[in-house]
Amino acid sequence: MRTRTGKRVRLCLGLLVPAAAVAFGAGEAGAQAGTGSPARIIALAATKTSQLSVIVGSGAVQTIASLTDNAVNSFPAPVVITTSWDVNPGQTNTVNLMAYFTAPAQALVGPSTQIPSSRVLGQMTTGLPVAFTAITQNAVGGVGTAGGSLRLFAQNITGANKKANRTDNLNLQINLTGFPTLAPGFYSGTLNLKAVTQ
Amino acid sequence: MQRPLNRALAGAAALAVALALASTAEAQVGLTSNTATVTLNATKLSTLTVAPSTGTASIASITDNSAANVFSAVSIQTDWNLTAGTSVRLIGWFATPASALANGAAVIPSANVEGGINGGGWTPFTGAAVGGVGVAGGSLQLFSQAVAAATYLGTRTDNLNLRLNLAGFPATTAGLYTGTLNVQAVVQ
Repeated sequence: MRTRTGKRVRLCLGLLVPAAAVAFGAGEAGAQAGTGSPARIIALAATKTSQLSVIVGSGAVQTIASLTDNAVNSFPAPVVITTSWDVNPGQTNTVNLMAYFTAPAQALVGPSTQIPSSRVLGQMTTGLPVAFTAITQNAVGGVGTAGGSLRLFAQNITGANKKANRTDNLNLQINLTGFPTLAPGFYSGTLNLKAVTQ
Repeated sequence: MQRPLNRALAGAAALAVALALASTAEAQVGLTSNTATVTLNATKLSTLTVAPSTGTASIASITDNSAANVFSAVSIQTDWNLTAGTSVRLIGWFATPASALANGAAVIPSANVEGGINGGGWTPFTGAAVGGVGVAGGSLQLFSQAVAAATYLGTRTDNLNLRLNLAGFPATTAGLYTGTLNVQAVVQ
């Protein structure tokens, strides 16, 4: 008796469970048909960093063996400068190369006297100062120092030259004409070269 | 309910992209390069120069056995720009003392040539070299100017008086006597 009853129960359960599973599956299939999931947006952003560099190819150390008072003293060889850029022409009008002294009143420092930047002249025949010009201009685009700078070139940027480079020669002089007699000794200074976009 | 949320999410994403692009654009304006440097070196050497006002001093007519043979005046400017030393000295000297002036074979030695500075007394050119400048027996120190740090840059101008002292000297041969007096400064 116990055995027959148990068999009937197991039989009923065996029929009910597959039926329920089929019914559940059928309901889910009905929800998928013809229905798209909500759209999800993935924002993509990739930045190509602009490039701007200045390299001194030669003439990084300029030397005058013997300064002459009350005369123009030329450094013997030019500074050869290569400026390279890779910029967005839609956001850059010009690439400017600046030369500047950090302390214009003391462009070159000597044993007891200094040579100011107004006595140091630069010439770039392929740039803006085609004649020797004192390094007494102001900063451009935040690059340089007031009264101690010289803009060497301003290169217009278009789609054609958004990625390019140029090499220029910078000639330098120390003009001591009318300047008080210098004390003998060694005078040294640092001229900075830096490019900036505008 | 879900569509408005999706639109909001899409808007936010678009704004983020726009902001990212805007910040990139701002970064390009005023983009600066590395700083390259050029070292400038210049040396100012010490200087010491002597500049006579004239290259020639002359006597129109020599008088034998007399000290009254005075050359035309010579002014000498001495300039110095130094870093060391205690004195600037000006030396006058003849390369060959035995024949300071010569007229062919006839000579007048430096012992009979006398110099004086700024109206001072007469002294023959018979001294020794000073600091390597001059010739033994044919030199005369014309001045010695003390210098120190405060006077390392200086100048002075002196009148050099020259004469031939032929008192007691054999009669000279007629003709043109010529010679070269060197003037040179030295720092000691």
